[in-house]
Amino acid sequence: MRRNPLRIALKTLAILVVLAWSLVPIAMIVLSSFKADRDIFAVPPRFTFTPTLVNYVALWDRWGDFFKGLLNSLIITAGATIVAVLASAIAGYAYSRFRHKVLAGSAFFLIFIRLIPPIVVTLPLFPIVNWLGLNDTHLVLIILYATFFVSLGTLVMRTFIDQIPKEIDEAAHLDGASRLQVLFKLILPLSAQGMVAVAVFVIVYAWNEFLFAFIFTTTRAKTAPLVISEMIGAVEGVEWGVLFAASTIQLLPILLFVVLAQKHLVAGLTAGSTKG
Amino acid sequence: MQQRSPLLPALGFISPVQLFVGLVIFVPALYVFWLSLTQSSFGQAPVFVGLANYARVLADPYFWKALVNTVIVVLIVVHVELLLGLGMALLFASGVPFRPLLLAAVLAPYAVSEVSAVVMWRFLFDPDVGLATQALAALGLPPLEWAVVPSHGLVLVSLLSIWLHLPFTFVILYAARLAIPNELYEAAQVDGAGGFAQFRRITLPLLVPAMLIAMLFRYIFAFRLFSEVWLMTGGGPARQTEVLAVYLYLEAFRYNAFGDAAATGWLLVIASLILALWYLRRLYREMFATYAP
Repeated sequence: MRRNPLRIALKTLAILVVLAWSLVPIAMIVLSSFKADRDIFAVPPRFTFTPTLVNYVALWDRWGDFFKGLLNSLIITAGATIVAVLASAIAGYAYSRFRHKVLAGSAFFLIFIRLIPPIVVTLPLFPIVNWLGLNDTHLVLIILYATFFVSLGTLVMRTFIDQIPKEIDEAAHLDGASRLQVLFKLILPLSAQGMVAVAVFVIVYAWNEFLFAFIFTTTRAKTAPLVISEMIGAVEGVEWGVLFAASTIQLLPILLFVVLAQKHLVAGLTAGSTKG
Repeated sequence: MQQRSPLLPALGFISPVQLFVGLVIFVPALYVFWLSLTQSSFGQAPVFVGLANYARVLADPYFWKALVNTVIVVLIVVHVELLLGLGMALLFASGVPFRPLLLAAVLAPYAVSEVSAVVMWRFLFDPDVGLATQALAALGLPPLEWAVVPSHGLVLVSLLSIWLHLPFTFVILYAARLAIPNELYEAAQVDGAGGFAQFRRITLPLLVPAMLIAMLFRYIFAFRLFSEVWLMTGGGPARQTEVLAVYLYLEAFRYNAFGDAAATGWLLVIASLILALWYLRRLYREMFATYAP
């Protein structure tokens, strides 16, 4: 490529625009969470200010619910991730290694099911969950979050397990290993990358999800996003500083996780969409 | 290795996934279809009413408002995402400094919850102190009155949606662009093809499948848009910014009209199926070719 100065300038500009677009909204709330009210509401905006923890202290004092919500989010995310990854890995093994008409139909069914919008199933599930006494429990969200990712998870796992040579299974079978042994001792360890990719999807989804938490939890199992939504809705009296502090706490761990797991996220997204 | 495998162990391995999906999504979806043909409310036995719910929903001006809003937002969001995602994929493919860091920055919105994103964009466009409002004012442009003017509200919802979902479209297109062999470009250069000709003759045609997949997924997911609207405008002012999922939610959980909500739900399902018809047909053939040749 020729080193054309105009070209370089345009490209630098494009990169800066992309960076600003992606990061300014995030940086704004993280920085503002350390601002006192007079700095938050300064016009024109202040980029230098004395950092303060007043918003975090106020959050702790007045929104104890939020920290309970974080704990709930953590429990639900962990539960949904374990369930979804295990179920997807086992099914992915079957779709990678077995051939049968029934599997063709059921694989099609798995993808077909992704077309049904989550809000549609809340209509019958709401009374059923109530009737089972599962309303406002961790369990109901764990099941829902896992369910809405097992079909994508299975596809991703199949793609990863397809890359493990079949000769490895066959050699183990010749040595007398059962299918379960092959699955748990050979395939799962070898497809750890795929399991991480599936886990990244489920973790991000379960940590951030709003709709199901909004419909199925009220007090005990309330998740962090739901508490933040209550803070937004606090009639006309939105306390921006406290809201920024809560958003920052909810956001930073998952942001760090996505940055660290970037490679797996990209691998999972491409495996999940190009194949099926 | 094309021998048939035994069915029973395979069924055992797929049964957890199939049970989850069947019991939590499929059976309830069928039940919603039954609900859509009945008149019912909490604690009442459903009475069969045929297509009356569909007729009532289709005669409700608020349904049409929600449908039009949904279609507008989906069309804006998906196509702007596709253009921006394509531009960014090409930018990254042309070689950028600090690639891993830039990639992390671009993927960052993927980690942000809808709730936090609403906090960000509401504050950016706060009428008094928002950064974006001040930037618009500095450029001599009018502010976005998203809380008062319905169309402005939908613009802000679209912006927010694009911001949240651009990483997905970008990753799909970027991966597809990287999969194009470099030899094609080298050969084109030997033949004297310039940058634009290379884009038109090589990049664009080879990216079409990935673009279609990214668009399809985004059409389907954007169509169920709920949280962004609910948290940004709540469907207001005066129900003017409702989208279909918000309309459904209000019918069911505020107005207790389960039949109407169920009918709306099935209209959503049918719309998704129609959108995905070509994809489903291709997939159906592919699945049977793989598993039962």
